[in-house]
Amino acid sequence: MDVGTAWDDGGVSKQDGSNRLVSGPEVDDTTATILHVDLDAFFASASLLARPELLGRPVVIGHDSSRSVVTAATYEARKYGVHSAMPMARALRLCPNAIILDPDFALYSRLSQQVMGILDETSPEVERLGIDEAFVGIAGLRRLAGGANRIGPTLRARIHAETGLVASIGAAGTKYVAKLASSRAKPDGMLVVPNERVVDFLHPQPVSALWGVGPAQQERLARYGLHTIADVAHTSPERLSSWFGEATGRHLADLAWGRDPRAITEREQDKSFGHNHTFFRDVTDRAEQQGEILRLATGVGRRLRDAGVQARTVTLTVRFHDFRTITRSRTLPEATDVTRVIVETAWSLLEQLGELPPVRLLGVRASSVQAAADHGLLWDDTETWGSAERAMDAVHDRFGAATVVPASMLRRERKREDTGPSGGD
Amino acid sequence: MKFVINRDVFSDAVSFAVKLLPQRPTMPILSGVRIEATPDGVVFSSFDFESSARTSVQADVGAEGVVLVSGKMMSDIAAKLPQREVRVEDDGTKVSIRCGNANFSLAKMPLEEYPTVPTVEGRTGVVEGKAFAEAIGQVAIAASREDVTPVITGVQLEASDTTLTLIATDRYRVSVRSVQWDAGEHTDAVTSLVPARTLMEVGRTFGGSERIEITMSEAGERQQIAFSTADRTVTSLLIKGNYPPVRRLFPESSEHHAVVNTAELVDATRRVQLVLDAEAAIRYTFSEGQAQLEAIGSEQAQASEIIDAVLEGDDIVLSIKPQLLIDGIQATHSEFVRVSFTHSENTNKPGPMLIRGQTSRDDAEATDFKYLLQPNLLLR
Repeated sequence: MDVGTAWDDGGVSKQDGSNRLVSGPEVDDTTATILHVDLDAFFASASLLARPELLGRPVVIGHDSSRSVVTAATYEARKYGVHSAMPMARALRLCPNAIILDPDFALYSRLSQQVMGILDETSPEVERLGIDEAFVGIAGLRRLAGGANRIGPTLRARIHAETGLVASIGAAGTKYVAKLASSRAKPDGMLVVPNERVVDFLHPQPVSALWGVGPAQQERLARYGLHTIADVAHTSPERLSSWFGEATGRHLADLAWGRDPRAITEREQDKSFGHNHTFFRDVTDRAEQQGEILRLATGVGRRLRDAGVQARTVTLTVRFHDFRTITRSRTLPEATDVTRVIVETAWSLLEQLGELPPVRLLGVRASSVQAAADHGLLWDDTETWGSAERAMDAVHDRFGAATVVPASMLRRERKREDTGPSGGD
Repeated sequence: MKFVINRDVFSDAVSFAVKLLPQRPTMPILSGVRIEATPDGVVFSSFDFESSARTSVQADVGAEGVVLVSGKMMSDIAAKLPQREVRVEDDGTKVSIRCGNANFSLAKMPLEEYPTVPTVEGRTGVVEGKAFAEAIGQVAIAASREDVTPVITGVQLEASDTTLTLIATDRYRVSVRSVQWDAGEHTDAVTSLVPARTLMEVGRTFGGSERIEITMSEAGERQQIAFSTADRTVTSLLIKGNYPPVRRLFPESSEHHAVVNTAELVDATRRVQLVLDAEAAIRYTFSEGQAQLEAIGSEQAQASEIIDAVLEGDDIVLSIKPQLLIDGIQATHSEFVRVSFTHSENTNKPGPMLIRGQTSRDDAEATDFKYLLQPNLLLR
């Protein structure tokens, strides 16, 4: 879609996709450092994964009972005016052809975890908003992975390839605008809103698009003749405050001009370094699993050392052929950046799991991260390993990653794609 | 089973027997206390496969027999009973406890599922109770509390012909103390690695005893140790693994040292520590006649204090975690401490410091306690 003309569209964003707005790769993405990733009609799409014959038909998720309410609806059903929380009886009057499916919350939760996992692998800054949406901070990834125009489509493709779900993405310099952008990009779209287009983007929208404005507030705003965001923006903050109270007034004025100082909420202790690998075929061989753990931990250790930090907790993730996923972690006596310690901890966590069904994915994560420090130890059993690894790091930096590796990794010939943010070794 | 027993004897016996029981036992039955009435008295015991406690006390036994009841419940009751004679009786399905006008009735736990409380045989030696308890208090503080490194969560006991040496470390410090050991006829060296928690309990409960008999099992399937007094026995499984050779870390000798008053150093450290975050270190500068303590906290808070010190050798600056220092100097149980400085081969890393007790500012004293502490790197 031609973005230039798209901005002139002043209509209301309806969730049926009739008022969709997307951007192309030519949009300047340098200021759009926050992504809002939102799964399209999540419950309905997830339920349809197992019922592909129903694609394109109006499907309503809920119980087939007159007393039930709609849990979710596909875009096809939404076109008839069906929306979530509507009584089922009314939904069926609006759309008599609707097919009703029972919700499967176990499935939703599993798919949600999978999608959040993909986001976690993309960026260390992820703030989950619910089962089907999250903010992803990408400011620090520009050099490594590019801006929104590169990361966004990659994420959407990966989510679709790995889960079958469709995600729409909004990208902007603030959380609020990014979230609004993703709702306009739906379904199956992406919209990047550069800072200089924020006001054009916001002002035509109805006041209900302002964060925190619900039906009651919308009614109060209407009493003062404020129907669009532009109406609010062109009312002085003092007047807004005198009408709606100091805090609300300031909040409305800020949002109407796209000002939203909230950062991605990602606490210090949540910072972690993790790598995952999905096998091409499910693996039962313990030695092969250990080999993969060695490879993943090598990447994690390297990233810790490069970042000048040490981690105190090591977590092993194992996903089985049936997608059942378990995680086990252990806290170390001292924080470490020594690959060998991470490997041995993860190996021992694997050992404790005993006999396992075929394994589809393995992940190694180091968390409880702190700045590298002297622990004041009388002796350190890991010192020798630590200095050997630093020497290896230096060789990798000069001559490339393939020059020095642990001997057991030499046998692994296949070229692999890692799922960690910093790619391969 | 039926017996009448003195109230205090009863409550002491029950509390001793259940003290070593884990808070959350792996099997519910292990939370029980076993009570056996015999013609010679009543035996209270507990066992959780790791450690056991057993005590034999005088009572007026009316009928012999054995019961197993909840240890926690029994000790809570015993501690609160009025000062009257206690009557304990097996009523068939329950055990009744009557004391004055108070009556209790406890469910019996199935004895047939209860494991046999172990007896330990092997090499035996004797230590003096008070000295052993003091040594445990001085050494066990340095044992690691991290289950990830099981070997150093224990206290290493090394018996030679005339001394028993206790050693503990958490890799930040090493604490060593020797006590007199009467090995009888067996004089060759033997070692046992005992869980620190169990040993501390032994120190607390056996400290008042004249003599404690220690039996270390010979190499075999189940490596155990037993501590016994006339009427009480604690046994423990030993920790497996090779204890790190930490005695090697102690310097042969060091002339470079400072002598300070123990209480002054502890008090000053505690005051200066107030501005610091947990885990942060205090900077100690030892110079002619004094030691200066300085700390800088995260909120730009600062503290400093100067105390008297006698320094032998060059001025020296060290960064030390306060709690590790306080543990060591308090454990000297002396009015003065001598802090000796060493130098490491690695120029970036300060050498460990050795702490020993001293009775006066000037008189060096051959004490049987020593504590080695690794200072942090100096950041400023």
